[in-house]
Amino acid sequence: MLIRLSGGEVVDPVNGKTSQRDVWIRDDVLVDAPKNEMADHIHDVSGCIVMAGAIDIHSHIGGGNVNTARLLLPEHHAAHLPRPANTPLSNAGWSTFQTGCLYAQMGFTTVVEPAMAPYSSLHTHLELADIPIIDKATLAILGNDDFTLSLLRDDKSSAMIDDYVAWVVGSTRALGVKVINAGAAAAFKENVRAFSLDDVVPEYGVSSRKIVKSLQASVTRLGVPHPLHVHANNLGIAGSADTAAATIAATEGVPLHLAHLQFYGYGTEGKRKFSSEAARLAEAVNANPDVTIDIGQIMFGQTVTISSDVMRQFSAIRNASPKKTVIFDGDGNGGGGIVPYRYKQDYYGSLQWAVGLELFLLITDPWRVFFTTDHPNGAPFTAYPELFELLMSSAARDARSSELNVAALELTTLASVRREYNLEEIAIMTRAAPARLLGLKDRGHLGAGAIADIAVYRKGKDIAKMFREAALVFKNGELVVKNGKVTHYRWGKTLRLNPPPDKAMVKRMKAYHEERYGLSLDWFTFPDSAIQRDDPFAEVSCNS
Amino acid sequence: MSVAWIGSQPVSLTDAIQNAAKLLASSRCPVFTFDADVHGTRSTIALATMLGGAYDHASGQVLANEVALFTNHGGMFTTPGEARRRSSLIILVGEIPTLHHDLLQAWASSKPDLGDKRSRSWFHVGGAETDPSNGKLLRQLKAISLRSEGLSLNAELAVLRAQLQGRQALVSLSNIAQLKKALAAAQFPVFVFSGSSVATAGLVMLQELIVDLNIRGRASSVFLPADDDAWGSALTSLWMTGFPPRTGFTNSLPSYDPVLWDVQRMINEKEADLHVWVSTRGGQIPPKGGQAALISLNRTEVPTGGAAVTIAVGQAGMDHDGVTYSSRIGTFRTLQATAASHLPSASKVISQLAEALPGKRILAC
Ligand SMILES: [Zn+2]
Repeated sequence: MLIRLSGGEVVDPVNGKTSQRDVWIRDDVLVDAPKNEMADHIHDVSGCIVMAGAIDIHSHIGGGNVNTARLLLPEHHAAHLPRPANTPLSNAGWSTFQTGCLYAQMGFTTVVEPAMAPYSSLHTHLELADIPIIDKATLAILGNDDFTLSLLRDDKSSAMIDDYVAWVVGSTRALGVKVINAGAAAAFKENVRAFSLDDVVPEYGVSSRKIVKSLQASVTRLGVPHPLHVHANNLGIAGSADTAAATIAATEGVPLHLAHLQFYGYGTEGKRKFSSEAARLAEAVNANPDVTIDIGQIMFGQTVTISSDVMRQFSAIRNASPKKTVIFDGDGNGGGGIVPYRYKQDYYGSLQWAVGLELFLLITDPWRVFFTTDHPNGAPFTAYPELFELLMSSAARDARSSELNVAALELTTLASVRREYNLEEIAIMTRAAPARLLGLKDRGHLGAGAIADIAVYRKGKDIAKMFREAALVFKNGELVVKNGKVTHYRWGKTLRLNPPPDKAMVKRMKAYHEERYGLSLDWFTFPDSAIQRDDPFAEVSCNS
Repeated sequence: MSVAWIGSQPVSLTDAIQNAAKLLASSRCPVFTFDADVHGTRSTIALATMLGGAYDHASGQVLANEVALFTNHGGMFTTPGEARRRSSLIILVGEIPTLHHDLLQAWASSKPDLGDKRSRSWFHVGGAETDPSNGKLLRQLKAISLRSEGLSLNAELAVLRAQLQGRQALVSLSNIAQLKKALAAAQFPVFVFSGSSVATAGLVMLQELIVDLNIRGRASSVFLPADDDAWGSALTSLWMTGFPPRTGFTNSLPSYDPVLWDVQRMINEKEADLHVWVSTRGGQIPPKGGQAALISLNRTEVPTGGAAVTIAVGQAGMDHDGVTYSSRIGTFRTLQATAASHLPSASKVISQLAEALPGKRILAC
């Protein structure tokens, strides 16, 4: 099948300047305009923007903690079910089925769940497999488990750490590795309540910094394309900017991704001792090419925070709204906390909102700043269209700012920053850069040979509307969305790395699980067939 | 051997599927009950979603009690693996279902290797209503009893909370001083409970007590479901529709209501006109009552009594591979067929049923 999208304005910064040209699809891939061949199907997309399908690198869409949030908050889901009119609360994407549909309607075709607990990887993959239309991927959490901490305490060789990391990534079918408040979950089990980069996990004598540096080095040696994904210490705390700055300074020439930087953008100035340090952090990011970050923008309204940072979530219980929470001390890297929260347009909410936007606007390189709300922690991903508008229109920011807390905004630089993202920068930030960051060579652009993941948006003054309802979306060459509505269902794949397991490490793992859990290793691993779908996984290769 | 029946007449599988599809297509208000592994549950929920029928687990009542702990309150939890490795003080709450006794005995024969690494001690708060069938387990574990003659478990938990807070209580629990001493020494005490231990109010009380303990030190709980498969179904339902079982559909949107969508109530009160009963456990029969027509997908060698259509299905982990929730690890695990048979899986039969339905529809699984 040969499809031609004719007359659109193609925004594809990887392959050249924005221009009006046709885009050709043969079966599931993009091809150059064929000579002497007629298209089986022509879509007239004049007056539209044509981009590659968008890629979300950090959105909590499935797995144990997300499911526990559903269990805790059935009323949250009910409040977010589709409404007749497009109210701001119209959809939250709460079930796997809705998640796939809502992402596709906005032109997103690949989404990464960033926090898979290795021991419940089967659960995560069962959920991801039930998300229709889009491709998925997930990062395995490491850095709080007894095995890693023991290797570091005992000064084991880097080869052995690599073998372990490779075994976890391979057996859990991950696309990369994430470390969450390194060491804090283990320390919290021993009643430690605050934990910084140079604090030490009791019992192991290993610092958070050492855990991060060791995993960062291991991920790099193994050729995992995505740099170590770091959720730093002290999230959400006034003064956390110091921790973020120290983490940024710790890259030492090796790539590192810092997640949801907005939640670390806080200083201790002002009457309330809660101020913006976004400008300082943006400068630090601009000056350090090893670092990539995503924002974790907050948007106002009800949401639920879902995080494996159990220490931080425990401290947030008192702010829960409504008043119910789950705190979970999981196995090693599992666990976390579910705390419902309402972002209000008060001092704190206004400051957080502005900090996120400052970071977006003051970090100059769109290849190193990623578009996220840390769904659902800062806001549900359904708030993306409004966020695009805020980035692309300083007038929209001014209008929104006028409704917010003046004292908070005065402690930020937001009003003075007039930058507006253009479509090329949006395409880099949400397409080209995520593909490069994750090592997905087959997507993120519209060059020949890429898979035909395409989003077509109808140009208009209303930026949010344009991004909320894609005119057309193709996934692997199949038309899946028309005028903002899903027209065709299909099942995407979960993208994974598959480093070969080291035999000695497998033997060690068998012995470890039998001794420590009294169970054979097959209790903790699974075959692909457990997913009960045809080819649920697609392999991404490691860097050689 | 027959695998499909219309009434009590053996028929081919194809005929049974066609007949069942006709019943489904003409039903005004179908309801679904399941008791299957993850994939059997996924298929049943997908079919229920497609047809807009309410669904519940066969053990819906006790499951609703467990779900209510979360929807009403939440709590602090840990995994069986972490408890085994880290907790030197275990407090059992109420009656623990027999299916979990192996797990507790395995903990008893191991020593914590993390945290305080002390040898494990056991307490039990039982309440007057605790079934004596737990007696043997409690003796094996040498569990120290915390009780006050004649008090219900709910009341005992209230007294326990007050006494641990240092508040004056009208009555005192036996061995409370010993528990206080053990709590002071243990780094990570764990309360173990089941959904069948006590009603939701008692479970909430227990969680409030655990929060108290976390003000200064650490403590957590291990939740052992009354039925692992039922809990696995609840988790599956949550991701598929966003809600636990006892979910129904209004204008094709799912909604959760443990009373309105109580499938057995709907059958008894004649709101439902068709009941699809999916039971892969074997030896189960649907509860009597109501007049709804019955489609039975059952692990059986004979037609289900009263069923318009019966189709024999296999059990995951016996007749075919599958995935179930296991409270040994607190998450899902794979099961290999131990005695592979000709019986089809429930999900296979349900996808054939969906295909046989008139009109083109999507089965979301
Ligand atoms: Zn996150």
